[in-house]
Amino acid sequence: MELKLTGNITRLLESMIEVKSVSKSYGNIVSLNDISLNIRKGEIFGLLGPNGAGKSTIVNILNTLVKPDSGKIYIDGVNLATNPESCKMIMGIVPQEIALYENLTAMENLIFWGSLYKVPGSVLRENAGRILELIGLSSRKDDSIKTFSGGMKRRINIACSLLHEPRILVMDEPTIGVDPQNRNHIFDIIENLNHEGITIIYTTHYMDEAERLCDTIAIIDHGTIRAQGTMQELRKISGSRVIVTIVLKHLNDKIIKYVSDNISGSLIDNILNTIKVECQDVSNEISDIIKHIQLSGAEIKSIDAQDADLESIFLKLTGKKLRD
Amino acid sequence: MIRLFRKDLTLFFKDQRSFILTFLVPIILITVFAFAYGGIGDYSDSTDSLELLIVDQDRSGLSEKITADLDAHSVLTVETAGYDRARDLITSGDYPAALVFRIGFQDSVHSDGNLPVQLLYDEEQEPETWHLQSLIVNTLVSYIRRIELQKYFDEFRYMLPDSGASIAITPDILADMNESQIIEKISIVGEKKNIKLGLIQAVAGTAILMLLFSMASVGTSILEEKENGTINRLLYSPLNSRIILYSKMLVAFFIAILQLTVMFIFSWIFLGLDITINIKGLILMILSTAFAISSLGIFLASIARTRQQAQNLSNLIILVMSAIGGSMIPLFYMPQIMNKVAVFSINYWGIQGFYDIFWRLLPVSETYPKILVLIGTGIILTLLSIRLINRNIIKLV
Repeated sequence: MELKLTGNITRLLESMIEVKSVSKSYGNIVSLNDISLNIRKGEIFGLLGPNGAGKSTIVNILNTLVKPDSGKIYIDGVNLATNPESCKMIMGIVPQEIALYENLTAMENLIFWGSLYKVPGSVLRENAGRILELIGLSSRKDDSIKTFSGGMKRRINIACSLLHEPRILVMDEPTIGVDPQNRNHIFDIIENLNHEGITIIYTTHYMDEAERLCDTIAIIDHGTIRAQGTMQELRKISGSRVIVTIVLKHLNDKIIKYVSDNISGSLIDNILNTIKVECQDVSNEISDIIKHIQLSGAEIKSIDAQDADLESIFLKLTGKKLRD
Repeated sequence: MIRLFRKDLTLFFKDQRSFILTFLVPIILITVFAFAYGGIGDYSDSTDSLELLIVDQDRSGLSEKITADLDAHSVLTVETAGYDRARDLITSGDYPAALVFRIGFQDSVHSDGNLPVQLLYDEEQEPETWHLQSLIVNTLVSYIRRIELQKYFDEFRYMLPDSGASIAITPDILADMNESQIIEKISIVGEKKNIKLGLIQAVAGTAILMLLFSMASVGTSILEEKENGTINRLLYSPLNSRIILYSKMLVAFFIAILQLTVMFIFSWIFLGLDITINIKGLILMILSTAFAISSLGIFLASIARTRQQAQNLSNLIILVMSAIGGSMIPLFYMPQIMNKVAVFSINYWGIQGFYDIFWRLLPVSETYPKILVLIGTGIILTLLSIRLINRNIIKLV
């Protein structure tokens, strides 16, 4: 039987960015140690790691601000070291800081940043109008940036990287200092851009952002990639299990002792009246857990089973919490 | 490069503070200094008010005659007073100086001894004192020469043939001699077009001083861009790092030319400085001064790590250069040694170049050495800035 792949699937299988054995040191400090990444066309690729892990160094190598000590990078098949100009033309970079001219209007900022990529004037104006619509700020296009809120500036910061219609968008922690409402707005923008076919590299130290947005996540710590893959793959790699949370009607010392003695690895919270148990195979283990709880004399109020989240995966892989 | 240039100009003109510092403040200061240096209004008016106290302790015919002569001088107003009163009036700042004829003044003139004459003065009013001293000395010298001449004739009278005729020093002869002996002062520069030195000093000195400040501010904008991340964002684009640097230099140079041009046009229209005297020289001086000072502004930014550091460093260097270079205090008020120290400042070469054009009325070729010094300074500072900015600010690592 012949397997026919649709356009979308074919695209997803192609590499957009290949990072091969890249290392970078600053004196004795190793910032990146033999990093390899494979970012596919059309995906949102998350780089997750604590501050100082090496995320920004990867971003700065991709945007040619930093030269790697060794290794190679290919952007859509083009060697970044030998053809930086053509690579830059297909990439948009959203910097971590709000890099805008405060005294210029939103439209003036967009036109200026877009013009650096040699976009013809009429196309530039058309794109600027369309992007302002996309980020929901077309009514403020003639206002100077200094009158904007932090969240609005963040949105303009993203917009300025889109004028030349890049195929890759590198976003370096684009939601720092943004309130939840604007954060959701930015997520919507990112998802819309991704639906238009833009490959997105997203660095963050917020687990929920990476979990919500990213198709593939690379966990980076101390300049090395600890693991990369989809959430499902990361769970498998890390050996994280399903967490079963059982809420009881009441909890006393007798129940606590019985559960502690008979259900290994159980975590009891006597304030919330809950017992948490990590399971390797929920379907086989859950009946035993319920039986032991009933034998202890406790009454079950509710049972909930959840896959391990990114926080626990990160903990398993690095031995520390992301905020440590 | 044109896009960057246009963007920086737009930012400059949108920033009201920069605009005021570059154009409005210099215009106000030039006007104030032009008044202060006597560049506006009639010079002769100011000398009419020279006042001199006379303390005549000798009370001789000669001291009274000299007093009367000084009083008759068109630029002097003479008042007599006692010694202590005169000291008080000078100390309180009411009079700049007092001429004291000590007892024995007339006798000492006839006996070839030292003249017992004193000039009490207030050092703070030195320019007035200098004028007074020159008038007093001229008057005294003329009298002494007259007396010496009379003595000479008296001494050698016996050598004349006894023809019955006598040679007498008549008042007419003395008057003629008197006139010829008074030092005649003729200003040989700046007279042709009725130009006022104070106005040129005010325009050139202040324009250069303010240009230094505004260029330091333009230079600091590079560090501002570094701090807010826009320099990095520019580097993300296909732009070459050198283009970013050259566009900054071009903007600084352009604003410097604009500022100097506006200052001279303002001085022409409102203060009466005739800039049409030597248009070619003026253009060359504006270009070379703008180049040297804009290069200094960029250089100051290139050696600083932060904006605050650049501002502090700029203020220090600008104030020192302007103090020694003649922007704050005209060099003609300073001792000779300061004229030698002044050559280490850009202000000196700029101001002297403008003096050549407007005061000395020299042909352009005579100004070339100053223009070359300014251009040379600009080239050296530019080369250093390129190296330092590439290393410190837009370095790729």
